[in-house]
Amino acid sequence: MELFTPEFGLVFWMFVAFVCLYCILAKWAWPYIIKSMEERADLIDKGVAYAQEAKSQLDNAKAEADKLLAEARNEQADILREAAKMRNELIEKARSDAADEAKKVSQAVQVSLEQSRKEAEKQLRTEVGDLALQIAEKVIRRNIASDDAQRALVDQYLSEVETKN
Amino acid sequence: MKSKIITAIVALVIVALMGWGYYSAAQHRAHGHTSELDPKETIFEHLGDAYGWEVPFNHSLRIPLPIIVWGQDGLHCFMSNRITGGETYDGFKISTSEEHNGKVVQVMPDGSEVRPWDFSITKNVAGLFIAALLVIWMVMKLKRWYVRNGMKAPRGAKGFLELVVDFVYGDTIRPILGKHAPKYAPYLLTAFFFILTMNLLGLIVIFPGGANLTGNIAVTLVLAVLTFLITNFSGTREYWKEIFWPEVPMALKCPVPMMQLIEVLGMFTKPLALMVRLFANMMSGHMVVLVLVLLIFIFTSLFGVGVGIGTSIFSVAFTLFMLLLDVLVSFIQAYVFTILSTIFISMALEEPHEHAEAEPVQEN
Repeated sequence: MELFTPEFGLVFWMFVAFVCLYCILAKWAWPYIIKSMEERADLIDKGVAYAQEAKSQLDNAKAEADKLLAEARNEQADILREAAKMRNELIEKARSDAADEAKKVSQAVQVSLEQSRKEAEKQLRTEVGDLALQIAEKVIRRNIASDDAQRALVDQYLSEVETKN
Repeated sequence: MKSKIITAIVALVIVALMGWGYYSAAQHRAHGHTSELDPKETIFEHLGDAYGWEVPFNHSLRIPLPIIVWGQDGLHCFMSNRITGGETYDGFKISTSEEHNGKVVQVMPDGSEVRPWDFSITKNVAGLFIAALLVIWMVMKLKRWYVRNGMKAPRGAKGFLELVVDFVYGDTIRPILGKHAPKYAPYLLTAFFFILTMNLLGLIVIFPGGANLTGNIAVTLVLAVLTFLITNFSGTREYWKEIFWPEVPMALKCPVPMMQLIEVLGMFTKPLALMVRLFANMMSGHMVVLVLVLLIFIFTSLFGVGVGIGTSIFSVAFTLFMLLLDVLVSFIQAYVFTILSTIFISMALEEPHEHAEAEPVQEN
């Protein structure tokens, strides 16, 4: 039957047509198409991986930023505390310095007071001695007799007065 | 609403064509062509090859195609319209004898007919070229897209083509052949697209299609032989060892080479099955459609025009169904041919078993 017996001419041309088709496509089309398709598939896979990584990095960055912010806040608080402490110290020091100064001034005042008091005492003693002598002179003038024993007695009295003071 | 109008127009066209067909048949008969309908001859005429390509609605006009024959006295080339009317040209005519029916023969001086070497561009050969050019055009268009647009995904028809390429290569060839895939992919992809195009072109009734290419055993023979050659030329030591010294009990292979016989037979039955499967599937699809259409004419001639019209409604419906089924079969058979060729090649490429077990990571 004709249907089941291959015709020579058709076999020949089929072979020629197929080999030509194969050569053309195998040389210029299929490798390039396959390469392009695989490259694109790779690109898409890489893109997905990249996006995932970028997302996780973004999440990390956010956490990091939060951490930095917290650290900065802590530092700020520390600095503020330090500043307050320093201020208090300064005030304290100023206050104690002022107190010391005031003490010194008052001491100097006391010393000078003492001195002036002693001088005044000395002057007073002399004046009182002179006064007493004048008094005694007046007394003795009345008694005419001026005795050494009496002068010694006066001196003794004066010393007594001085020690009493 | 729109679809109703389209349906009405299609129905009108069909009825008009039917009327025209009956009218022209009546005219044909009136002019004295008392041609009795011979279903068998009609079917085989449509399934087979022809010199010249018929034009719709015309019984005699054919697109002429070149006839190239190497006769007893050298090469002859002429157009087919010189002999398709039954004439003899340059000592050649289309035979009507039992032996060479429908083929070009050289008429010898003593009146005997000798078949020359026939390299004619017949209907089927022209169909092959058209299919090949179509495949080149399609694939080159896809390639040009990649050249121009780089990494961008193709749209529309090219996107569909890429889907098919990816289905055949990415989901079939690469998983089966692994690292050998790039080497054999061009052959397998070319075979797939060539077969698919030929299958689909065969379903189109008028000029660029209509040639029953993959339903012709010569075409499938060439494809099967190519797969056979590629398979056996890429056969590894292991492949040949499996054929001539398989790992079976000694009694099966030593005194009487029974396994060897079976294995060698298997070498040939595989491509034979490829050839017959594609051929039979495509041919039977065409044949069913032809028979369904012929039923109209058989019933008309048997029971009259009324029954013929009734039959035509059923026949057209079934023909439509069969043609749609054939579109599916076209894809399936092209794919089956490709996947089986891939599997045969992968079997020929097999490595020794110990090696495969030692380095399973390499095989991906």
